[in-house]
Amino acid sequence: MSSLALLAEIRQSSERRPYEVLKLAEPLLNSSNQLTSATDDAWLVYEQVFLSALDEGQIDLAKALLHILHSRFPSSQRVKRLYGLVNEAAGHPDESHKLYSEVVDKDPTNVLALKRIIALLKAEGKMALAANELVGYLDTHGNDFEAWLELSHIYLGLHMYRQAAFCLEEVILQQPANHYFHLCYAEINYSMGLLDIALKEYLRVIELSTDNVRGFYGVKLTADRIIELLSSSTRSGSGGGKSRRDAQMSFSLDNVPQMPVLEKLSQLATERLVATYSANKAASAPTKALEDWLKQ
Amino acid sequence: MSEYTLSSQAYAKAILHSAKYPWAAVHGLFLGEKNGSKFRLTDAVPLAHNWTQLTPMFDVALQQVQQYASSKNLVIAGYYVAYENPDTTQLSASGALFAKSILAINPEAAAFVVDAKRFKAREDGRPALVPFVYAGEQWKEQPKAFGDAKGQFVLENNQALTTARILVEERAEIGIFDFDDHLDDVSLDWLQNNVLNERIRTA
Repeated sequence: MSSLALLAEIRQSSERRPYEVLKLAEPLLNSSNQLTSATDDAWLVYEQVFLSALDEGQIDLAKALLHILHSRFPSSQRVKRLYGLVNEAAGHPDESHKLYSEVVDKDPTNVLALKRIIALLKAEGKMALAANELVGYLDTHGNDFEAWLELSHIYLGLHMYRQAAFCLEEVILQQPANHYFHLCYAEINYSMGLLDIALKEYLRVIELSTDNVRGFYGVKLTADRIIELLSSSTRSGSGGGKSRRDAQMSFSLDNVPQMPVLEKLSQLATERLVATYSANKAASAPTKALEDWLKQ
Repeated sequence: MSEYTLSSQAYAKAILHSAKYPWAAVHGLFLGEKNGSKFRLTDAVPLAHNWTQLTPMFDVALQQVQQYASSKNLVIAGYYVAYENPDTTQLSASGALFAKSILAINPEAAAFVVDAKRFKAREDGRPALVPFVYAGEQWKEQPKAFGDAKGQFVLENNQALTTARILVEERAEIGIFDFDDHLDDVSLDWLQNNVLNERIRTA
């Protein structure tokens, strides 16, 4: 596959692979004829390599590419945003902020510039402020599920788990068939001790995707933990009239499947884990670790 | 007072783990040999680079590493973490909790925060790790660590710093796989990372 095609693939998938992009683009940039004679792609490639140069700390290369872009698109707001980025990378956040604000003033709907202002706050470590700004952005752009994800990420960094969970709920509303979001939601709930929701969501994960190892680990972990809590609550005789809510648990034992179902789920997870490790030829150390873990 | 010696392999793997995901927080465990109150940190097991404030897969991994460690006559000697923001060299609330969960297994375990800025600055022959020791119900930073050949924290040899630098420069981090990677592809050996170990040995 040609370098241009590979670069296009990386742009398409939005993966962050700066080192590879630079390596692929090097020969193309050195003989500039190759690049400009190759369709409209050329300018996308310049922008892509610019971003990768920033990621790799090659500020001079980035500036050179920006100059080329600016010559071709002198009054472009898109290029102006790139000037903001290079200023961020060079450690001039105030200059960046000024540029982004100008873009937003000219066009208040410029989502990329709005987001860059929030990213700037993050880079400066002002997480609470970044969260506030992002909440404001989401007031108008509530269907931007990636923004909800970003907000959940910021909340997790602030250890605001409940708020992070709320964000994931918004994402799932918009993208209900994507197992990845159910997975994140399951893990946030597990971290909060809400094992009933965690189990349901891990089950959704294995329903939505085939042989999802992380999902099965989650099902087994959660089911076993609930079985343990159910057993100890029965032993301590906390049936008899009052709802089975242990002071140490954040969820109600009335909200989980019956014991036989839980045991079957745990068994299913065990079988699938063993089968997947075997089918994918897992190495001996992790396989042994799995076996020991399943026995405990 | 417990003493900790850091080997090339342990140091290199922690640094490479954080170098592989510069935009994310990463964390993992240090394994070591125990001799009374002296720990020789011989290896690092990288755990996660995603959702590092969340607990379920950390719980699973911790249980598995415990069993792996005892099968090799090693103990879990420490917890390491590298934060997204290179200015952060203090343990976060979740980091402190994860490190504390190690104490239940080894009450003498230490915690380490990767100091990316120190690594970049090639500072005065000290590793880019800030150790924390649990005392008086909290994790206390040991800022003078690794500065004294007879101190509580020492490098096994100065080669460790050069090795890590060589490996980062040649981008050896593409060869390190953590538990997160393993969960996506179970054929990856997150517990050992043998191919990388060999590269570290010959660097």
